[in-house]
Amino acid sequence: MSVIECSGLTKVYGGAKALNNLSFKIEENKITGLIGRNGAGKTTLLKIIAGLLKETSGELKVFSEKPFNSLQVSANVIFLHDQMNLPTALNLKELLETAASFYPNWDRELADRLLDYFSLNPLQHYNGLSKGMKSTFNMILGLSARVPLTMLDEPTSGMDAAVRKDFYRALLKEYLAYPRTIIISSHHLSEIEDLLEDILLVKEGKEILHMPVDILKEWAIGLQGKTTVIDEWTQNTEVIYTKSIGIDQSYVVVRNHFSETEWQRARNAGIDLTPVTSSDLCVYLTSKTKGGIDDVFNKG
Amino acid sequence: MSLTKVSLIDVVKKQYIYKLKAYSQVFMSLIFLQLLAVLFSMNGVGSMGGSTGGSVELQVKYFSADFVAAFTMLWGFITAILITTKAYRNDDFVFVANRISSNLSNAVFLLTASVVGGITAMLSSYLLKVIVNYFFKSTPILDAPIELLLGIFSTILYVFLFCALGYLVGTLVQISKAFTVLLPAAFFGTLILEGLSGKAGTVANVFDFFFTESSLVLFIVKIIVSAGLLFSGAFVLSNRLEVRG
Repeated sequence: MSVIECSGLTKVYGGAKALNNLSFKIEENKITGLIGRNGAGKTTLLKIIAGLLKETSGELKVFSEKPFNSLQVSANVIFLHDQMNLPTALNLKELLETAASFYPNWDRELADRLLDYFSLNPLQHYNGLSKGMKSTFNMILGLSARVPLTMLDEPTSGMDAAVRKDFYRALLKEYLAYPRTIIISSHHLSEIEDLLEDILLVKEGKEILHMPVDILKEWAIGLQGKTTVIDEWTQNTEVIYTKSIGIDQSYVVVRNHFSETEWQRARNAGIDLTPVTSSDLCVYLTSKTKGGIDDVFNKG
Repeated sequence: MSLTKVSLIDVVKKQYIYKLKAYSQVFMSLIFLQLLAVLFSMNGVGSMGGSTGGSVELQVKYFSADFVAAFTMLWGFITAILITTKAYRNDDFVFVANRISSNLSNAVFLLTASVVGGITAMLSSYLLKVIVNYFFKSTPILDAPIELLLGIFSTILYVFLFCALGYLVGTLVQISKAFTVLLPAAFFGTLILEGLSGKAGTVANVFDFFFTESSLVLFIVKIIVSAGLLFSGAFVLSNRLEVRG
């Protein structure tokens, strides 16, 4: 069963298209990473899925319902992000109690234990927390709610390395014990890569690719060698990224269409073949130019 | 994980309980405003005096909760505007909500606030009379219980009417910031123009319509229908509003 189905989803914000004809499906009980640059439309997409914003055009179904103004969707989705404002009059303990009243699957014991583990004072107010502690509290809300669709937007923003590690572990344990659909948007793909099953890569409001992480790892390959040789090899293939190293060496990333024999021939021609990490690949795929920041400085 | 089924009534109920806790500051400002109004009323809301031939001097002072009631209506108006603002609306959508449930629970919350405001406003007249009794050494005349009850009831309705008006105004402002200028301009503009022309105009008529009704039943009907219309207007207008979450 698909939890989220959307086709041709477009959202216009003051003339600019935050989402541009986006179409994808997300299956039940999978952890999907929503990856993209700043301003790629990740948060807008999550807000539309949560029913907070209304799409400009296109079709979106969450649990087979339109999310905007749907109580069923709201009850089955929790969306946490770092700019959330929670009622200022309530302290952390009261906030957890309120959340417990709204979500029938709420695990009170887990929430209390997590609060205790991350040394958050239950009598403190949300607004008084530091950025990392706010994120930690959001995570406690998100995990304890045990909602069929959990969406975390930049969940680790402001967290220190130790808390981040704990968070990934807690998320995985919770997921294994109570499988649910989870969407995480993050800049730290290398950190969450092991957690994810699928990756949805967006750029300028468009879907670039949507595939399992395992396939993404083999999707592209890096070639390094003499520029002349490399150019000859990559003539008829789609170049994803290119970088010159020194005077006559270059590094090029292309789609991995090579057969075993071609690999061998490439090696013989003096080309180094290296796998491309998914996080690097995502950076290459979402950059505006093929040469990256180097293009800005190479005026010639 | 299996899906949760929810009903609108259930969510509204939960949101209402949540709002009673989350919006508790509203009641603090009520207490403050009412105490301020009691202070202002200390000198009497009206007085008349006279002397006959120099031997008898008579002074009559009226002490009533009118000031307090007026302040409470103003408070209802402002509170209603306050809970339509982004910060409060976003609070709803952190948990389970849609626009209908959010509006309904706001209306129920404002009704509760009106009841609390109306009762405390009317009871404040006793506080005032006790103060007068102690400090001015005069014996105030108390209202009959039935009049007190009637006073409480009509104050609640008035406060609720102002809440409904504030809710619509607040919603309009949320839709477009232009209303922050337009609405006061329209209100004071009519007031000034009518004042200049010297005859009773719209504002006076509206005031008469609500404040000089002598039939209790008609009064109740007027208030409930008007508040209902104001709230429905706000509901319809805000049904498309987006939230930040």
